[in-house]
Order: sequence, then structure tokens, then C-alpha cells
Amino acid sequence: MGLELKPPAAEPSENGNPADAKPEPAPPGEPGGVVRRLYDWADERLGLTELRKFAAKKTVPQHRHSFWYYFGGISLFLFIVQVFTGVLLLVYFRPGPEAYDSVRRITYEVHFGWLIRSAHAWSAGLMIFAVFVHMFSAGLMKAYRRPREFTWWAGIVLLLLTLGFGFSGYLLTWDEVAYFGTKVGIEVAEKTPVLGKPYANLLRGGPDVNENTLQRFFALHVVVFPLLFMPVLMLHLWLVSKHGNAVPPSEEAKPAGERKSIPFFPNFLMKDLAMWLITLNVIALFASFFPWQLGSQADPLKPAPQGIHPEWYFMSSFQVLKVFGNWFPGAAGEMLGMSVFTLGLVLWFLLPLYDTSERRGRRARLATYFILFALGVLVVTTIWGYAAL
Amino acid sequence: MNYPVWDVPVIGSGWVIGIIAIIHVLISHFAVGGGIYLAVAEWKARREGRTDWLPYLKSHSYFFLVLTGVYGAVTGVAIWFAIGLAHPEGTSTLIHNFVFGWGIEWVFFLVELTAAAAYYYTWDRIPPKLHQFVGWVYAGASVLTLVIINGILTFMLTPGAEWLAVAGTGREAGEFWNAFFNPTYWPSLVMRTAVCLAMAAIWGLVSASRLDPKSQAGLKTAVVRWSAWWLIPAFVLMPLCFVWYLYMIPPDRSGLLELGVTTIGQGTFTQVTRAALVSVMTSATVLAIVYFIAYQRPTEFTLGHAIAVLGIALAATGSTEYSREMLRKPYVVADHMYSSGVRKSDVERLNRDGYLTHSPWVGEAAAGPHDRGRLMFLGQCASCHTPDGYRPMKTLLGDRDRKAIENLLETLHANKDDSPYRKFMPPLVGTPDERAALADYLLTPSPRRGPRGSPALASGR
Repeated sequence: MGLELKPPAAEPSENGNPADAKPEPAPPGEPGGVVRRLYDWADERLGLTELRKFAAKKTVPQHRHSFWYYFGGISLFLFIVQVFTGVLLLVYFRPGPEAYDSVRRITYEVHFGWLIRSAHAWSAGLMIFAVFVHMFSAGLMKAYRRPREFTWWAGIVLLLLTLGFGFSGYLLTWDEVAYFGTKVGIEVAEKTPVLGKPYANLLRGGPDVNENTLQRFFALHVVVFPLLFMPVLMLHLWLVSKHGNAVPPSEEAKPAGERKSIPFFPNFLMKDLAMWLITLNVIALFASFFPWQLGSQADPLKPAPQGIHPEWYFMSSFQVLKVFGNWFPGAAGEMLGMSVFTLGLVLWFLLPLYDTSERRGRRARLATYFILFALGVLVVTTIWGYAAL
Repeated sequence: MNYPVWDVPVIGSGWVIGIIAIIHVLISHFAVGGGIYLAVAEWKARREGRTDWLPYLKSHSYFFLVLTGVYGAVTGVAIWFAIGLAHPEGTSTLIHNFVFGWGIEWVFFLVELTAAAAYYYTWDRIPPKLHQFVGWVYAGASVLTLVIINGILTFMLTPGAEWLAVAGTGREAGEFWNAFFNPTYWPSLVMRTAVCLAMAAIWGLVSASRLDPKSQAGLKTAVVRWSAWWLIPAFVLMPLCFVWYLYMIPPDRSGLLELGVTTIGQGTFTQVTRAALVSVMTSATVLAIVYFIAYQRPTEFTLGHAIAVLGIALAATGSTEYSREMLRKPYVVADHMYSSGVRKSDVERLNRDGYLTHSPWVGEAAAGPHDRGRLMFLGQCASCHTPDGYRPMKTLLGDRDRKAIENLLETLHANKDDSPYRKFMPPLVGTPDERAALADYLLTPSPRRGPRGSPALASGR
């Protein structure tokens, strides 16, 4: 049983264009004939043959860094898992005063509710991890260069939206850790010069985290962010299929005859799906052996639990702000920290306009150092943040 | 507490057995299935004139010899050390009941290992027919090792009514055959045989993946596809055997499988459900990856792919063995000996006379109440719990105060039919003073450091 579909035999087209050739009618009464007739019916309406020809033309470069190509697909798969588990959670979750109780029901009463919730929570963290790996590997392979600048920019928007998904979803359980983590997170964002305070008040629906905040975060998490994410994702995927996978400079330097590639369909796709399956197993392992419990219900009148800290993907910024706060006590330190983050994000965005040359010049080297520096800061400050707890 | 307690921090002594045993199962099942694989492969290659297979099979048999003869044997012996240290009471029961079984097992091991070495070292040195015969000797001996160990393992879950009727009377050895061919023996044997064939496939793919896709394309295609076929018996038989297996175990044991369906709360025993879910998912993944990558694209199947499949198979093995072990709770030998090492028949006596009173290893170590509490913990809780590592008491007890802890211990001690813990926790035995000492010990924030405000106690072992 193979996966390659045998193209139906074609009758010449009236205009001589092979793409318009009509497939030979299937012999009646044969099982293969029935399948062929169904295919022909769908093909006439959906253009399946054109899709197959397009997919068959696409190739994926094969070199020693090809493994990193999988992380884009893994990020996409994890998003699909998020949507699927998120919709299931939506069936039982009640935003508002009953939020905590509905999550308690999901975790401790609904059949396999704990599994869906744990899969959703673990998949969120894994998706953010995969997106970071995808971004850094794409950056180090210089996949932001002409003509892929918009792919890079769309990717940054997707990263920011993914972090937004993580931040907004975190509050919805309305337990102590979620409440105080969000409170601290928004207070940090409030320190951004000029826009910080109005932005924080808009998010919170007031000067403090309250039930309005939960409602707004719920709207952001299930409506606003998905509505923004989907078109940007479609753009990103369309641009990738249009321009193909970028190859690193070391591979570009090789003569064309020495470069290898495999067809996207079905060769690369099969391997990609295998990686998806392995990712699903990783989610299942984590969700089953390290399921997410539920802390006690948030009480705004209580002090924050000792050692409160954000999730790992915000730990770096949390720690950097702490360091800046130690060097420059008071509001000045926090403002400086937020300004540094903003500047970093702007530089990251402008990378394709800085490192434009296809050759390995000075700008190319500096861009690589900048990416490695950012990666190093991210990893070191994340570990430091946890060590300092 | 007839033996000293092996206190392993963080993971607990049970996981020392678990880690060693999971690796051992991965290799030992290959030892059985792989032996059959090699014998059948050599027979097929000679019969069909596939001369290019023979050098490959020779190198695979070398890999087989080193892996099973070294790592399989070492981990197998390591299990003996681990179970003797972690659960000497249970080990003693198995030895005394199955001494003949262990004896014959070692005879089969001897034949197996000798045949494995002879199989590799006589390749191209003795006539093909004789070499084939050596292969079949190995295959037969290794299957017989499975036949024996399966009886002993399954006995622990379903000892059978005949053996239970004489348990504790000194006449247990007279029921050797009933204990051996117990209710879950046959479904387990069929399941494990199928798993052995699956392991032969997976490890065979590890070897086959290393063939050069350019110069050995034909050989690689043939061997990879042929190896993949060896997964089929497992995936056809496993679901059927699983249903058969569940049918043969008592309802109170199989009921543990359902505990994790509705809840994941602290204090509920959801391990069996969760491990079973992982087992099903990872097993299906192995089949999917082997079919879509190895079988469909054999020349593109690399060592990296094979290692990934092996990793997933390890997860499948680990989760299946873990769920099987958890299914036995609260017993280590069902209806006879609890996980704590206390025999069901001794509960009344220990409650009346005291748990520590009947422990020859206690002695001077039980000087003060905190010492006695710690010894109660080590003797009756440490086989499944650690203070703040695996299944930590600190987390499970939460913010309970003294009264709440005492109520919990009383519930465990009374072990009534409606107790929520009865399904998976042994009864807590001992006098009221001993139970109070345990409550005092559990009340400390970090039991290893001692009571609040007091220096660490150096004694207590």
C-alpha cells in the first residue's frame, strides 16, 4: 500500500494544454473505478490534480542542518493541538465568577478533563519552546534575507501573539499563582515609558487585576488573538511555500550540482508527520505523568505567595528587569529595562534590512553574533531566574 | 520490619528496581524475540539463497550477543540486588515458593548464553545446518526463560485461590504448579511473546538502519521491511490479550484502571490509568512510524529514526511495566503481602503487639518518639513514598495539622470497606503509641531534618 496516488490516465485537452487534460473515465463496476470516479468528481470541483502537481514540484533542501526545518511544522502542530484541546475546554469553562470552579470541575470531575487540560497546558509551553527554536534556527540560517523578509516579520508577529496566548490563558484558572503571576506581569508592562500605564489599565479593566481582567483575557485568548493569528499564520505559510525553505550560507556556497533535495510530497511530509506524532507522544507523556493540578482560589486580599514567578517563557524578562532594578533602583531601573526590551525587539525586527548581503560579510557576521547574543541572554537569564528563586 | 530498610532519597527504593527493570525488559525481550528472529532469518536466507543476508545477520548476531549477554545479564543480576534490598520480604516469599523455578531458570540462562556465544563465534566455522541448529537451541532456551519468569511475575498479581489457601502454613511449595500456572499466566505469556517479537523488530531495525542505502539498497530494503513485519503479531494480539488479562484479574484490581478517568486529585491513585494511556499511545506510535517511515521508505530509514523508535518503545515498555506494577496495589503478593511487607495474616498480631516490637532491626534506634515515628515511616511507608521526592509525603499531606494527620492515619489503620484509600493503600499497623509517633514524625516540615527547632538526628537507621 503506497501513498503516491497514481494519476489517472488523461485524454488530450481541447486546447492542447496538458493541465486541462481530462482524466479517462473509470471502468464501471470495479472498486478502483468507484474510487477513480469519486476522485474525478472532487478534482473537477476542487482542482486536486493542480494541488498535487504543485506539491510534487516543491522540494526541501537536504543538508546537515535540515533537522531544524521540522520545528516550523512542530510549532504548527502544537497550535493545532491548542485549538483542539482549547475547544474541548471551552465546552466546560465558564469565564467570570465561576471560572475557578469550572476549572476545578474540568480537572477533578469531568472524564479525562485533567488530560485535556494538562495537554493544553503542556502543549502551550512546548509550542512557545518550538517557536523559539524555529525562530533562532531560521535566524542563524539567515532565512530572513531577501526575498523572505516578510516571512521573518510575520514570524515575529506570530511569536508575540503566541506569548500573548500564553499570558492571557494563564489567568483563566483564577488560582493564586495565576492571579499573582498576572498581577506582577502587568505591573512590569506598566513600566514601559509613555504607553505602559494606559496599556496596563486597558488590559486590567481598572487599576487592579479583577474579574474584568479575566473577562478581557478570555476575550483576547479565544477571540482576538485567534482572529489575528490565523491570517498572519496563513501569510507566513503561503510565503514559505512561495519562496521555499532557505538554505544556510554554507550550503549556498556549494555548486548547484552538489546540493541535495527531496520532494516535499510525500517524502518530507511523511517525515514531518512522524515528527508530529513524536510531539504528540511527548505531550501525552508530560500530560499523563506530570498532570497540572489546581492551586487554591485567588484571593486578592492575600499577599502574593512567596517566590511567585512567571512561567519559564517570561522568566528571562523577569530576571533582566530584576537585574536592572538592582543596578538602577526604583522606577528608573524598570523603565530602562522595558526600554531595552523594546529596543531589542525593534532591532530583531530590522534584522532583514541590516543583513541583506548574500555574501559572508561583516554585517552577516554581526547579525549572527547578535542572534547568538540574544539566545545566550535568554538562556542564561532564564536559568539565573530560577536559581535565584 | 524483619529486615533493615533501604532508604533511597528522592526516587525511593522502588524506582531503583523500576529503572533497572525497565531497561532489562527492553533488552531481555529482545533476547527472546531476537533469538527467534536470528534463527528464522538465517533459515530464510539459506532457503531462499539470499547470500547477502548472511554477513548482515552475522554482524547483527554480534550486536545481539553483546547487548543481551552483557547488558541483559548485568541488568538481570542487578534486579536481584535491587529487589533483595528494596523488598526483602517479597523476595523471600518468591524464593521460598519458586526455588525450583529459579533453579531451572538459571539452567536455561546457562544454555541460552552459551548458545548465543556459540552462535556468533561458530559462524562460517561449522556446517550451516549445525549452525542453524545452534540458533534454534538458543531460541528454544530463551523462550523457556520467558516461560519460567512469566509464572513468577504473574503469581505476584494473581497467586490463585489454591496457593492462598495454604499461604502462611508452610505448605506453600506444595502448590507450586497452581501458583505457577495462575489465572494471569497464559494471557501474560501470549502478550509477552508478542512483545518479544516486536522487540526483535525494533532492535532489528536499529541494525538494519546502519546499512548503506547506496551500496546496499536492495539488502536494506529487504531487511528493513522484513523486520517491520515482526511488529504485526504484537499489534494484533496485544488488544485481545489485554482484554483477556483484565478478565482474569480480580475486579478490585482492574478497578484501579478506572480511578484516573474522572480525576487527578491529590490522594487518588490515578497512576494505572495514566500509565496505561501512555502505553497505548506510544505503542501505536511505534507501529505508525515503523510503517510510514521504515516500511514505506526503507532506504531513507536512518539510525536516527531507529533510535527514535527505540526511545518510544522504551516509553511504551516503561509505562506498561509501571501500570502492571501499580495494578498490584496495595499488595506486593495479592491478598497475601502488602506493599509495606506486612502479611495480611499478621495485621491483627501487629496491631495488638506492636509493629516495632516485632522488628529485630529496631533495637536502640527506637530511642525516642521521633525515632520511632521515623522507623514506622521507613517500615510501612517508604516502600512507596519519600518525604519530599517521589510521591512526596510533604505534598500529599499538604497543610494538614496534627488532628488531620491523626485522622488520616486512623482511616488507614481502620481500613474499612468505605475507606477511599483501601483500594490502593495497605492498612497502617501498630499500636496507638506507634501511630502517634508516626503522626509526630509526619508533622515535621522536612522529616529528614527532624522536628521543628531541633537539630538533625544522626541516628535512626
